[in-house]
Amino acid sequence: MTLQKPLSEQDDTTLMLRVRDGDGEAFAVLVRRHQKMLLNFFARSGVQYDYEDLVQQTFLRLYRYRDRYVATAKFTTFLFLLARQVWIDELRRRKRHERLVAGLSAEPNPDYVDSEAADATASGEMDLKRALEALPEGLRQVVELGVYQDLPYAEISKILDIPVGTVKSRMFNALAKLRAFLEGK
Amino acid sequence: MNFETHMNELALIDADAFRSLAKRLRAMPELQPSPDLADRILAAVESERRGSGSPSRRRFLSPSPWWGIAAAAAALVAAAVAIYTVLPSCGARSLASVSEGLAWLADNQEADGTWSPSRHGGAEVYRPALTALSALALDRSEKSGMSARVNRACAALGGMQSADGAFGGNGRACFYNQAITTYALATLYPKHPELRPVLERSLSFVAARQTAQGGWDYESDSEGNAALTSWQVRALACADEQGFASAKVPLRKGLRWLRDRARDDGSIAYHRDSIKSSEGLNALAAYALITAGRNFPGLPELGRRVAGALCADLSASSNADCYRDYAKVKVFDSLGQSARADALRLRMRLQQKAAQQDQWGVVGGKLYTTAFTALAAR
Repeated sequence: MTLQKPLSEQDDTTLMLRVRDGDGEAFAVLVRRHQKMLLNFFARSGVQYDYEDLVQQTFLRLYRYRDRYVATAKFTTFLFLLARQVWIDELRRRKRHERLVAGLSAEPNPDYVDSEAADATASGEMDLKRALEALPEGLRQVVELGVYQDLPYAEISKILDIPVGTVKSRMFNALAKLRAFLEGK
Repeated sequence: MNFETHMNELALIDADAFRSLAKRLRAMPELQPSPDLADRILAAVESERRGSGSPSRRRFLSPSPWWGIAAAAAALVAAAVAIYTVLPSCGARSLASVSEGLAWLADNQEADGTWSPSRHGGAEVYRPALTALSALALDRSEKSGMSARVNRACAALGGMQSADGAFGGNGRACFYNQAITTYALATLYPKHPELRPVLERSLSFVAARQTAQGGWDYESDSEGNAALTSWQVRALACADEQGFASAKVPLRKGLRWLRDRARDDGSIAYHRDSIKSSEGLNALAAYALITAGRNFPGLPELGRRVAGALCADLSASSNADCYRDYAKVKVFDSLGQSARADALRLRMRLQQKAAQQDQWGVVGGKLYTTAFTALAAR
């Protein structure tokens, strides 16, 4: 007889296979384990106030697509694939929303001027944050996955559906742009 | 290969600079999830799991009996136009009709503090919502004795609430009773702090009924309808202003859902896939976006855009529809367009005076027309 590890100590792949078989508790462990990572993934993408909603949408998709998960794939790769899709949908909505509000009064509404952000713009940390948000989406995602998540380039290649060589060149370009932005300050 | 091995391939000067940059990036402070985020996610998944077990066909027709907009009746248009032709001569007299309406509401409050829809041409199942609207209307009166009536109405609303926070009714009635009553409770709360536990239970029920996508609907397979969601976000924004922390997350999600129902032409889709639009729904959503969304970037602008698409010509929508006109008055007031708001107010009073059959009179009866006309008044 072998003792089974508690769920909280089981690896992502094992948990996901249990989710596929209908284990709700395993799903809860995955949510608690990865919610912060996803939250910061979206926050660093420039989402303003609804990043927790995007985290929720990602986990909803994970639940919906649980049958598509195959154990050969790394769980975080699968999760980031879903998160990326959620983010693409969000960008589409945003573009539509921006189009809708374009042409309206250009005067800033004092109700939503972020004074904290305005005060912080002088700090290096805010410069870096702004530089990161200003990167083209394709470059920023490579930094997100390669630097923050420290994923192997082969995994990034699968998530973004680009060759490993492109991951490398995007990483180089992204870091060069960030460096130029900061040095230009 | 990963980041580190990639750096090993680069020239030393670049690699050092990039490593230093990566170190700074990783050192940036990270956000912490809200303590209840995981629970909310799991509740949303559970809600979806339950929902997927009983799929039912999405209905695109027959939105709410009150807030959806049907075709205007030609006879009513003619009657409204006729009223307009005599508007200057009866204008002064009509101004008195709001206070007359409030007096009528006061006289018709039941002994238990509620208002009875069936006694005044409405549907009994909407007693909580109509009691809430009547109480809100009376609360605007400065006449002596009214506050005691509002107190009784507040107590009655608390009495109608069940342990889970619901105010009664099934399906559509349940959701509209909940939305309108919660809005009224949150509005009345500053003068009636004794309502706190009632409002807290109500907010809890509202949050539990929010769909995973952020909307509210009485149809089990729907992610939300824009009319109900507009009412709910108004209620939640009101509660949020009063310091009810439990309103924050559902408010944000509700606004987000509503935002995504805006179409390129400035109209609002009732359901995600709805084709048709309506003046009343657009006005309701515009007002919700402008007011409840005021702390969220872009939402007031979006609300103003939706408001900009509202019909300015009164004769184009002259059938009696107190809900539509109430919502338009609120929008015009919020945009500082007093002349347009006043013209609509006057029409509502005239139509009330003439006892003109309202679009949703069969549901709300005289209580509904009187309360909305009073709530639209200055």
